[in-house]
Order: sequence, then structure tokens, then C-alpha cells
Amino acid sequence: MKYSLAVDIGGTFTDIVLKSADGALSVDKTLTTTDDLIRGFFDGVQSVLRRAGITASEVDGVVVHATTVVTNALIERKGEATALLTTEGFRDVLLIRNEHRYEMYDPQIEFPDPLVPPELTFGIAERTLSDGTVLKAVARADIEAVARRLRAEGVRSVAICFLNSFANPTNERMAAEMLAELLPDIFITASSDVAPQIREFQRASTATVNAYAMPISQPYLGRLRKRLADEGFANTPLIMLSSGGVVGAETAGRHPVRMIESGPAAGALAACHYAEKLGIDRLMSFDMGGTTAKACLIENGEPLITGLFEVDRRYRFTEGSGLPVTVPSIDMIEIGAGGGSIAHVDDLGLLKVGPESAGSSPGPACYGRGVDKPTVTDADLVLGLLDAANFLGGDMKLDLAAAKKAIDGLAVKLGVTPVQAARGIYRIVTETMASAARTHATDRGIDYRGMPLFAFGGAGPVHACEVAMLLQSSFVIVPPQSSVLSAFGTLVTPIRLDLVRSSLSRLAAIDWDRAGRVLDELADEAYAALEEAGCPRGNVTLIFGADLRYLGQQHEVSVTLDADPRIQRDSAAIAKTFEQAYRVLYGVNPSHVPIELVTWRLTARGPVTPFDRELAPGGTPGKPKRWRTVDAWSDGASVPVYDRKSLAVDQTISGPAIIEERETTTVLPPDWTATIDRFGCIIARKGS
Amino acid sequence: MDGVELEILWSNLVGIVTERAKALQRIAFSPIVREAGDLACALFDARGRMVAQANTGTPGHINSLAFAGAHLVRIFDGKLEPGDVMICNDPWLGAGHFFDITVLTPIYDGNRILAYIGSTIHHTDIGGYGIGAGARDVHEEGLWIPPLKLYERDRPNEVLHQIIRNNVRTPDAVFGDLSAQVSSGRAASERLIALCRRHGLADIEGLSDEIINRSEEATRAAIRQLKSGTYHGESSFDVPGGEVITLKSAVTVDAEKGEILVDFAGSSPQTTTGINVVLNYTHAYSTFAIRSCLNPHLPNNTGSLAPIKVSAPEGSIINCKYPAPVNARHVVGMYVPMPILKALYQVMPDRVLAEGSGAVWTIQIQGTDRDGRPFTSSMFNYSGGMGARATKPGPSATCYPTGVAAVPIEILEAAMPIVFDRKELRRGSGGAGRSPGGEGQTIQFHLRTSHPWLLNAVPSRLDRGPDGIGGGCPGAAGRFEINGKPVSEARKLTVQPDDIVLLETPGGGGYGTPPDNIAINGRN
Repeated sequence: MKYSLAVDIGGTFTDIVLKSADGALSVDKTLTTTDDLIRGFFDGVQSVLRRAGITASEVDGVVVHATTVVTNALIERKGEATALLTTEGFRDVLLIRNEHRYEMYDPQIEFPDPLVPPELTFGIAERTLSDGTVLKAVARADIEAVARRLRAEGVRSVAICFLNSFANPTNERMAAEMLAELLPDIFITASSDVAPQIREFQRASTATVNAYAMPISQPYLGRLRKRLADEGFANTPLIMLSSGGVVGAETAGRHPVRMIESGPAAGALAACHYAEKLGIDRLMSFDMGGTTAKACLIENGEPLITGLFEVDRRYRFTEGSGLPVTVPSIDMIEIGAGGGSIAHVDDLGLLKVGPESAGSSPGPACYGRGVDKPTVTDADLVLGLLDAANFLGGDMKLDLAAAKKAIDGLAVKLGVTPVQAARGIYRIVTETMASAARTHATDRGIDYRGMPLFAFGGAGPVHACEVAMLLQSSFVIVPPQSSVLSAFGTLVTPIRLDLVRSSLSRLAAIDWDRAGRVLDELADEAYAALEEAGCPRGNVTLIFGADLRYLGQQHEVSVTLDADPRIQRDSAAIAKTFEQAYRVLYGVNPSHVPIELVTWRLTARGPVTPFDRELAPGGTPGKPKRWRTVDAWSDGASVPVYDRKSLAVDQTISGPAIIEERETTTVLPPDWTATIDRFGCIIARKGS
Repeated sequence: MDGVELEILWSNLVGIVTERAKALQRIAFSPIVREAGDLACALFDARGRMVAQANTGTPGHINSLAFAGAHLVRIFDGKLEPGDVMICNDPWLGAGHFFDITVLTPIYDGNRILAYIGSTIHHTDIGGYGIGAGARDVHEEGLWIPPLKLYERDRPNEVLHQIIRNNVRTPDAVFGDLSAQVSSGRAASERLIALCRRHGLADIEGLSDEIINRSEEATRAAIRQLKSGTYHGESSFDVPGGEVITLKSAVTVDAEKGEILVDFAGSSPQTTTGINVVLNYTHAYSTFAIRSCLNPHLPNNTGSLAPIKVSAPEGSIINCKYPAPVNARHVVGMYVPMPILKALYQVMPDRVLAEGSGAVWTIQIQGTDRDGRPFTSSMFNYSGGMGARATKPGPSATCYPTGVAAVPIEILEAAMPIVFDRKELRRGSGGAGRSPGGEGQTIQFHLRTSHPWLLNAVPSRLDRGPDGIGGGCPGAAGRFEINGKPVSEARKLTVQPDDIVLLETPGGGGYGTPPDNIAINGRN
């Protein structure tokens, strides 16, 4: 194979990475073309191909794509009319939610409007019991009546979510088949297909998100495939999923709900790639951009996966104000703290940073667009951590005077000097990120102390060492290509699909024949999907997992099983794995409480794509390109500034120091030392 | 201390207790803690003043813990040693019923007490009557744990452990949750000491002075913006058994001093069923109502609560005397905000909401399945409509003032032989108004069993719906029927195998005069 290609379309930028057989990378970064994402895709690709001097037909390896298309559809809410079929008597499942007020003290809270309005929700007289018994089958006449209404209303996509369909999908499938026959042009999502898990509201929400995205993602993927073929690319595209999976466009298109976090997932996978290269099995990836920071915990070389997350949080970014989605996804914390986060003094005289953000437009005061509110980037600039003349390699001049003016105003309110105010912003934004990371890790029973930090994004390496110290860590990694890291991540990821299915049973009394059937179905689905993505059955590795809990509990603990449970059929071994995982999380095991299996998990993966490009050791150590006054730690200190490109492998730099590259700046505080390793990473450590 | 240093330290203190609360919620056996976050976690300074509280929990717990912690610190003053852990579930010292056990751990730095970390969680069982309002006095309601040491110098108090073990129905779950409370205290201790070291603090007293004084001053400043005067609000509602309870509140705003006094004189006397409320709990829901309108984003601590004073006549239903039964105190306690909101409407109309359905309806079922196996469900709950806001409708089927979540139908059906026939919004139940009240819901279920079963349901507002405000119309009253016949009964009911249970929760009150084209008694 000569060339592979990766394209990551994010909210602001579209990143392209072209990899040649020897591991050399060509990259490009362009603004995302929101009106037509595919146009930006090919504009960027053509620019990279042109610079590499090759044609599309020479790209004979994979074309992997991460995209924000589904997220955009959900936030913009410009999708086509979507309907929901529920069990009769339960039509308001999306409006009733779980009856919870996510913010106790604020009487003004708001809930998101469901993607399906009440007038397009239809109750069907059918019923399945919790043990899977069908009490009442679906009547054809009922579906015909609904089909007439759907046609009249111009509905393009339908979600079906019947009670207990996770236990037996027969009624949902029957309704789906009848509908498909009556309305062949309509998109249909059965909840038992997209999210076969217990808890009706979350499953219905997931199914409607999927249904809503279908009429947008299907033509999108269709156009992408056609244009790639027309341009002469050898292979059909692979699509990155929120779980870190990579599958063919057809599989991805059936379940667009799995694509929501595809870009951030790819970033976490890049972190896993470097962790493996560096021989580290746990770290925290830390991506700080203009509006938010994202962090993800990596344990045993794998990112943490969550079975439930929210999209489109509507009210002050609060947890609980979005639409729940239960598909496997990289467990990402999103923190409302980025370069554009605005600092202000509150009623109590406290300095607060964020969550309000100036974003990238109009941006911080130093962008010189007439905004006078001080932001994190303004503080970084005033402290000398950033260079006004070298932002984006000098393509964008920053207005230091405007930043100073904004910080001065804040300093007056606080009654401190401007430098103290700027240091305050710098410290508080790092505290905010560390605090969010601590709560997230504690919530998952993970000891965050001492974990290496893997920093990327425009503002990540500027703040990473300080965040690390607050997490009692003395180890920071800043990878190369950090500005296109997600696109890079898609190229070092095996083809992979993650599937789940609820199958409630006491572990000790498990019906292994039934469990075997469930797992066989999952495995068949996975084999077919990986085959479509070009990975033959013989190359597929299956990894089994389960979500278990003590009887009476509501939250499950996910464990990975050592053996194929279809063959091993050993409840005691699974119990042991669960008890151990539980003890790690919570410190104690309750005695005498039976264990309940709630959900089976299956990960199917192809072989790992090797990527072993290493830099030659030695070379001439880079010298500081200049010295700059930096006030971050002590007043008026003169600090050396290095150009990252000039640094040689194994070269050591002592802090305080600044290492600049086009898209970011690595800040090395006093007491920290950095070396460049053979993969091109900056390895920063505290102490000597 | 400048606004930078204080912000960093303060947010770290809140972070410590929030982390602990999240860990407790995750690990808990008690379903109401896991699903509903019915817990509180707080840090107290060496003087027993609450300085930080987790951003989670229900109002009844979080504001009661401030008192419980202060009591325990006072009671054990001079009697503590490193490794000690205090415990108490006295209703009058804590959150108002035996289920809520408070555990408080002194945080030692060497031999000196640096602070205290405390939590209150609703346990699965405490012996006695069990869930419900049917006990005749507080002694029938379960095990009374006075302020005692649960651990002495890291060693369990064996006598107390054995007494608890023999007096609760689910000792594994109770001890599981107690050990979570204890280990949570230890983890918080480590974090606090590390924070003090990092910032060179010998103690947190100066820090807590800053936090408490600034919070108190900010609350007083917010009150000073209001118009002085005494504003009256009154709320009546019926409880299981048909008794009508009236709560009267006189809210006096003293803009000069920056204080608010809530006085409940004239409210109903305490009653014979277990719906009586201790003053702590009344205080908790009163400060909740005022702070959520006045300054909802200010953190909770001794300072932010100080300018709000609450009084109620001794022997009234919201300041009940020993030995009144208190088990189901939430049935009345969750109505405490309603008369206060009506009074506050007169002084800050844009920030209040109309009356809502009030207490969540709780249900527990005991029976035998078709195979002869007995079962007892956990308590589960359903809410009605919330009251309307000045510019926004009341959310439908949403819990207020407490914050519990409903257990999914599929989880309930998997746990016992219950089958739900219906759970939908009760359209038209929200009161009309410029902003309409939230809708209640209609829930119908039956059991697949061949044996009679016991239903312990606690509905309220079956006779009178919640009032509207400012010309808004009332929400619809609730309905509770078995086989189409209304039921009003305070105790457990025996239900026949084929019986069908119907619950219709109340709608919320409307806000402001409805537009002309909207029919009174519901929306078109």
C-alpha cells in the first residue's frame, strides 16, 4: 500500500492527514464548510494530494473519516419530519423523561424539546412482557392506519420503541417490516436494533436521535462514496464511531447515532497509540481548544467507554439538559474552559473563568475584533506565554495592547496588579480543569493521581504542566501533529465494532443456551460489519464483556471477560471478574448479595495497523530562537523560546522554557525538564 | 485573601465534597440514593460551621445536614480522638426521620482537628414500621440511634454495630452504605490535608471566615434589594386519609438588616399519622424556597443560610414534638415551599413559580408471585406538574421541590410481577395562565399474581389542585382509584389479584391571567 488518507471534519476545522507507505505524513487544516461538509472534505483532500504530488488513484489504502455531520444535525434541528411509534399508553415517553430536575436550585431550568413532536408520536396496541413473552402481537391494520398518517404528514423517518423490546424484539421487527412494505422510501429505526438495552426512555431517546439523523447522514455518506469513487480512490470510506470503532459506510449509515463523538474518539485513540509506543498503560488525554477542554481516561491502553451520554445540552451546558443516548462511546468529559473562556469578577468578589466563551468568533480581546472581555488567551498573552507575532505561525497577529487593556479592567475590579490578575486567570482555568478531571475520575473509581497527561489542541500544551501538578502528576506528553491529532488517530486504529444487548438474569441461574444465542447474534452482526469494512472473518478478534451489578443496585459495572462465555459457560469465573472490578472501584464487596447480569458486550476488531515511524537520534540540538519576558511565575523573568522544529531527538530543555510550533505552544514551568523522544513527542517531567 | 486565592481554595473545598457525594451515590445500595441522589455531603470547619456542600442532593437533606453537623460537633466537643467516627439518626437533630443516618468524621492533622466531613444518606431500612405513615408514634418507626461513636480510634463500636445489625431488615445493605459513608470521610480527609499543604494553610478557619462572611454578606445584599414588609402566603392540601393540612407563612423582609424571617404561625397542628415534620426539615425547605428565588447560584453554607430565619409554633405539623410519628415527613415537608412562594410573589414576582403538585407520590408493593415467591419492591415515585414560571410554562411530570427521578417501567417490570397499562401525560391538568402549569400524568398498572397483595401508596392533593398565581388557574387535583373507585387511605391496602390501580397526579398551577382564547379549567 502506498497511501492512506484520513479526514476529520470538526465544528470549526477540517483536518486532513495523508500517510505514505514509509510513514511520512502530509497534513492540511482548512475551515469547515458548514453549508456543505463534503465540499470542504474534497477541497482539503485535493490540496493535500496536490502538495504530495500524487493523484487520487494512488491512494490505495484506507480512507477513514470522522465527522460532525450528526452532531450538527442534532444541534441545528433542521432535519426532516420524524415520527415515533410506542406501545399504546406510553406515547409521552420522550416528554416525561425520568421526571428529574437536573438542577435543584434553579426554578428557571429548561428541558430540550424532543426531536419528535407529540403529534407525530403514535401508540400501537401491542405488548411484550419483561421476560420476553408477547402478550399482544402487532395488528397489521394498526400499522396501515399509522402509515397513512405518516404519508399525509410527509414523515421521512420513523423510530419504533416498544416496551421490553430489549428482551424480545419480535413486535418491533414486525412493525418495522410492515412499515417498510407500506412505505418503502421511509427510514426506519427499531430501538431493539440500535440500542437493545433496558430503560425505555433512554432507548426511545436513542432510537429517535438515530431516526432523526438518518435522512441527513444517509445522503451524506452516499455522496461521499460516490465522489470518492468518481475521483478514482481505490476503496470505499471507513467511518469512525464514538466508541472508537471503525466500520464501513453502510454499517455506519444504518446507525448514525454511533457517529456523534467520532472526532473526539479519534483523538483519544491517538493518545492510546502513543501510550503503547511509550510503554505507558494509563494516562489522561487532555485536549483544550477555544471553547472547551475535553479529557479522557485511558487505562490498560484502552480509553474508558461509557454506555450513556448526552447530546445537545440546552441549559448552561448542564448535565441532564441534553438528549440521552445509550450507545458505546468514549467516556469524554467536556469542560467549559478553553482559550476563549471569559474571566469576570462575581458578586462575591471572586475571579471566575468561563463557562461563557468568546469562542473563535469574535474571539478573545487580543483577536482585535473590538471585544473588551478578558479571556484565557489574553491572560496567556499578557503573561508572555504566547507570542503576539507567532500565533498560527504568525498568520494571525494578536493585539497585545487590547489584551492588556482587558486584563487591566479586571485587575482594577479585583484590586490586584494586572500581572496578578492574569496569573489568577491562568491558575483558575487550570484549577477548573483539574477539578473536573478529579470528579470525573472519582465518579469512575479511578485513582487519577500521578497519571501522565497527554496534551493537545491549541491551548492544551500551554496549560498541561500546571494541570498535571494539580493532579499530583509529574509527566506530560505533547505529541507531534497535535493540531490534526484526531485525523491521525483514525489511521492508527484497527477496524472495530462495539455492540451491546441487555439480557437480564441472575448470574448464578443464567440460561447458557439463551445467552449463547444472544452472543451468536452479536458476533454475526459484528462479522458482517467487519467484512464490509474489508476485514475477513479469519482476522477478527472477538472480546466479550458484561455489565453486572449486585441485585437491587441500579448502576452496573462493565467488565471485560478473559474467555468466550459461549464456550466457557462459567458463571463463577464471571462473578470473580466482577467482584474484583467492583472492589477496585468501591473498596468493598457486599457479602451474600446475588449478582445480576444486565447486558452483554462484544467488541470485534481487526488487526492493528502498524505505524512505526521513528526519528533518527542525534542531530544538532536546537538553540533558543529568542528570549522573552514571562511573568507567569516571577516578575520579569527572561525565558528561552525554542522552535519545536529545530529540536533534535534526545535534546533536553530545562524549564522555565517555551517551545513554539505553528498551532500551539508548550509551556515548561520552572522545575520541569523536557526531552524530545524518537516519536517526536515532547516528554516533559517535573524534577530532574 | 484576594479574589483569586479565595476562588481557588473555595472551589477546591466544594470539589472535595462533590467528589465524595458522587462516589456515595454510585456505590449506594439504597435505591433512593442511587436513583434520586437522596443524600448530602458537607465539610464543616473546626467550629462546626458548614463551609462547603456538594452540588448534589435533595433540599431536605442538604440543608438539614448543616444543623446535624453543628449538633454533633457541639455534643462531642473535647471527646474525640483520631480515628473516631460519629453517627446519629435522631429525627429532631437531623433530617427528620430514622431512615436518614448522618455520619460525621473529624479530620485530624496530627492531633489537631482541622475540620469535619459529614454525609447524610437515606438508608434502605431502619427496622420498625418500614416505609409509610402508619406508625402511631416515633418509636414504632424503627431504630433510634442517638449521637454515638460508630468507630473509636479506628475500631468499630461493636455494641452499636450489633444493635444495628439485629434491628434492621437488610443489614448487608445498611452496613454497605455505612461503610461507604465512613470510607468517604477518609478519602475527603486526605484531599483536604493535601490541599492545605499545597497552599501552606495551618488550618481552614481563616478560609471559612472568608467564605461564610462573603456568602452571608452577598445574601444580605440580595435581600436589601427587596421591599421591606410582611408578606403572607397560605397553602392547603389534602393528605392520605383525607385530612386537610394548611400551612400559613408570614415572610418578613427586613431590607435594612438584610434578613428574612419565615413564620408559620397559624399552620395545622401535628397529627396522628407519620407525616409530621421536625423544624430542621421545615427550615431546610424554607431556605430552599427563598434561596432558589433570591440567589440560586450562591453556594450553600452557614453564611448563605444565616440571614434566613424560620420559626413555627411548637406542636404544629411543621415543628412537631416528641413522640410524634415522622416517617413520611416528606408528604407535608415538600409543601413547605408553596406558601412561601406565594408570599414571595408579592415582592419578587418574576422569580417565583406557581404552586405545583407538591410531594411526589410514593409507592411500595409487597406480594407473592405466581410461583409462590414473596417479593417486596423498593419505594418508587411519580410526580405531577410543576407550577408555571413568569415567562415559561411549568415543566410537565417533573418533580418539585425535591429532585428524585422515576424508576423506569422496564426496571420495575423486571423486578416484580407488575404490568403497566399506561403512563402518559394527563393533558389539560395543568392550570391555564399567561404561562400554563405543567401537566400531571396518568399511570395505570396491575399485578400478574394469583394472591392478594399489599399496596402502600402515598398520594396527596386528591381534593384540591395546586393554586395558580397572579390570575393563573389552578391545576387539576389528583385521582387515586382501584377498579374505578376512589381510595383515600393512609395505611397499606390489601389489593386483589385482578384489581387495577389508577394514579392521576395533579397538574401545576398557571401563572398570570390566561389569554382570552384559552378555556378555564385546562388548555384547548
